[in-house]
Amino acid sequence: MLRGLLVATSLLLIGCNGFPKDPEHTLDQVRNGTLIVGYSANPPWVVKTANGPTGTEVALVEAFARTLPAQIQWRNDTEQNLFEALEHRQVHVVVAGLTDQNPWKEKVAFTRPYQEVGKEKHVLASIQGENAFIVALERFLHQQEATLPPSVQP
Amino acid sequence: MKQLVRFEYPPELVPAFRQARRLEWLTIAYLISTAALMYLTMGQSQAMKTAWFEDLLSLTPAISFHIATRVILRSPNEDFPYGYHRAVSIAYLCSSVALFAVGGFLLLDSATTLLKAEHPTIGTVVIAGHQIWLGYLMIAALLWGTFPALYLGKEKLPLAKQLHEKNLYTDAEMNKADWMTASAAILGILGIGMGWWWADAAAAIFIAFDIVRDGFTNLRQAVFDLMNQAPKTVDDQKPDPLLDRVRETLAAQPWVKDFTFRLREEGHIYLGEGFVVPTEVSDQLAQQLEDTARQIEQLDWRIHEFLLTPVRELTKQERA
Repeated sequence: MLRGLLVATSLLLIGCNGFPKDPEHTLDQVRNGTLIVGYSANPPWVVKTANGPTGTEVALVEAFARTLPAQIQWRNDTEQNLFEALEHRQVHVVVAGLTDQNPWKEKVAFTRPYQEVGKEKHVLASIQGENAFIVALERFLHQQEATLPPSVQP
Repeated sequence: MKQLVRFEYPPELVPAFRQARRLEWLTIAYLISTAALMYLTMGQSQAMKTAWFEDLLSLTPAISFHIATRVILRSPNEDFPYGYHRAVSIAYLCSSVALFAVGGFLLLDSATTLLKAEHPTIGTVVIAGHQIWLGYLMIAALLWGTFPALYLGKEKLPLAKQLHEKNLYTDAEMNKADWMTASAAILGILGIGMGWWWADAAAAIFIAFDIVRDGFTNLRQAVFDLMNQAPKTVDDQKPDPLLDRVRETLAAQPWVKDFTFRLREEGHIYLGEGFVVPTEVSDQLAQQLEDTARQIEQLDWRIHEFLLTPVRELTKQERA
């Protein structure tokens, strides 16, 4: 059993392309397709305008969608409704100026904090357990860290 | 009140006893380091949580071993005429209760996770500028939970048998459970990586079953020991072959017409008494009783005190 485990581990570590995978194939579906983003106004992270959303987090998600590449389909709703939509896998990402202290962290997946403002750690929310998608999103956010201003004052 | 003479391990077992204590200190240090590593990498994985709980829990035998071995060395006194040997049985009871209870809790917890179909999320961490999938770190932490535990368990087993220490034996078994837990958790993490969200909870359930089984076997034995069950061997909990040697010794006495006896475990040592029907009542009876009792006490270091009582006759029931 031990030997088998070691072999399995090393094989997976060597061939770690496409590891981890998504149970529901979110990343595969979004790539070259549509990224459904839920947003709830929370300036300056998410600002609602007549021409659609703008703000820091909106810009981040737009840049992320370009890396996949994917079209964005926006969906505006309350935070509560958006989290429920995430639970039912009806949206892929939620932006609403969330911090890692949000009590919904048990039901949905929060990314690593992409920015700290004061003591607030800002995160984006995604579908729980879709690990390939989350890793892709976190990888993108990590690469953006250098370009983000160190502290955006709301 | 008559007190038992102060008893420690015989000289030839002292090195084994010292080695056991060294191993148990090593175990405590090792388990704390594993638990810390796992806590840091735990994330949302159910199997990791299980393995972590199991690690914290598996400290119980090692800690209770250290407390008990300190307590048993105290001399018997007016208050404790039989000495403090039962401390070992109590330590054994504590370890097995802990093992059983947490096994049950983990089983429920993992089963609920599986039924609710919760998908565990494992994201990334950044270490020294490198972004790494947390799953790989978990696997690394778990690997530290396998091989050293395997080694510790292997080293303790022969010592536990030599010293007749059931608590030490439980601990060796616990180390075996540790490495199995860690291996199963690694498979769970790899499963999540493959997109099989259920793999993690399934691994946790498998681990929990094993803990519950171990906990139940040991809990039962610990309770039986405290209820003065006839001595059982440390490893397979079969009747101790020493019972046959006591029987043979009594049967070989020319002055004994009929006899019966019983032994009980008092921690790692045995106490017992025999009832003999002498062939004839002579002036030497007192001497014969004393000599035979000594002879039985010398059969093995574990027989700490053996009392012989002369009786007129034994009923069939008593002989059985």
